[in-house]
Amino acid sequence: MNCKKASRLLSAYQDRELTPAQEQEVERHLRDCHACRTEWDGLQELVGSLKRLPPPASDPYFPTKVMARLQVNRARKFRLLPAAAYALVFLTIFLSGFFLQLSSDNTVGIEKPQAATFSAVLMENQDLGLLAVHDNTLILFER
Amino acid sequence: MNQQTLTDDQIVAAVLDGRRQDFEILIRRYSGKIIHFITRMTQDRDEAQSIAQEVFLKIFQNLPYYRKENNFSAFIFKIAKNMTLNWLNRQKRTVFFGTLLGREFNKAPFRQEPPRFSLHDQSEREIEITRNLLLLPEEQRLALILKVYLEFSYKQIREITGWSIPKIETLISRAKSRLKKNILLQERNREFVLHAREK
Repeated sequence: MNCKKASRLLSAYQDRELTPAQEQEVERHLRDCHACRTEWDGLQELVGSLKRLPPPASDPYFPTKVMARLQVNRARKFRLLPAAAYALVFLTIFLSGFFLQLSSDNTVGIEKPQAATFSAVLMENQDLGLLAVHDNTLILFER
Repeated sequence: MNQQTLTDDQIVAAVLDGRRQDFEILIRRYSGKIIHFITRMTQDRDEAQSIAQEVFLKIFQNLPYYRKENNFSAFIFKIAKNMTLNWLNRQKRTVFFGTLLGREFNKAPFRQEPPRFSLHDQSEREIEITRNLLLLPEEQRLALILKVYLEFSYKQIREITGWSIPKIETLISRAKSRLKKNILLQERNREFVLHAREK
């Protein structure tokens, strides 16, 4: 292994990401090459310094805070439900009114059965003992 | 069953089954690592706490999309990574437009100078490392932090970031070289100044 290849592998070697064969090669090279060993020492010192940076102090109330926010979010969601229900009812009423209006407009041209005619048939046939219950249906009753 | 012995998948299943309070076990298990990760990425301890809260809320919302065959740790760090990068991008935009409009921001969270808390509780050497970490390109910083502080393998980093293993290897190697060079350069500069003063 030459210095160029060893130098390229040093970081992965430090991260323990090489195959056992590659590791052995790098170790052999480090034993023999002073320049690469200096580079290796520098890398070790750097990562050591990085790891020595203290982790941020933990907040013991952090989990409680998050759980409280989860509850708030849930409550908000439930508060939205009645509003959504009201909106839905309003929309249904509005749309039914709209469609009823539309359907009554469409039936303008169609001849509707007239109550007067129905009553007239009823009156005319009363003497004959007839009772009209529908335009097309007459039931005969005995007096 | 003891909380410690429950696996992440068992806890997720319980939460999805309606035991919302079990989510707190996951928070206790991962909050330290998540806050550490965000603090190193942003170098802002206060903001890290608030971003971490958002991260856990997002994790909770996304639990139904978690698949058992995936690594839970990778799943949550993916969310943490995305939210942290979004936050950093927002800060960059704020600073950019602020500069464009000629306004001074009293509290620009994306800073090039050492973070506030560092001055009180970190040694000079630590401040120097923190500053240099912050000056690394974002992808290099992300890969290095996931490796050095969270001790993830390259495979796990691939799951979190979606990058290929050769790319991760290169990013980490370059980050280390760059840090080493910058820190060495600063040490030499300091020695030069001290030497000049003595004369």
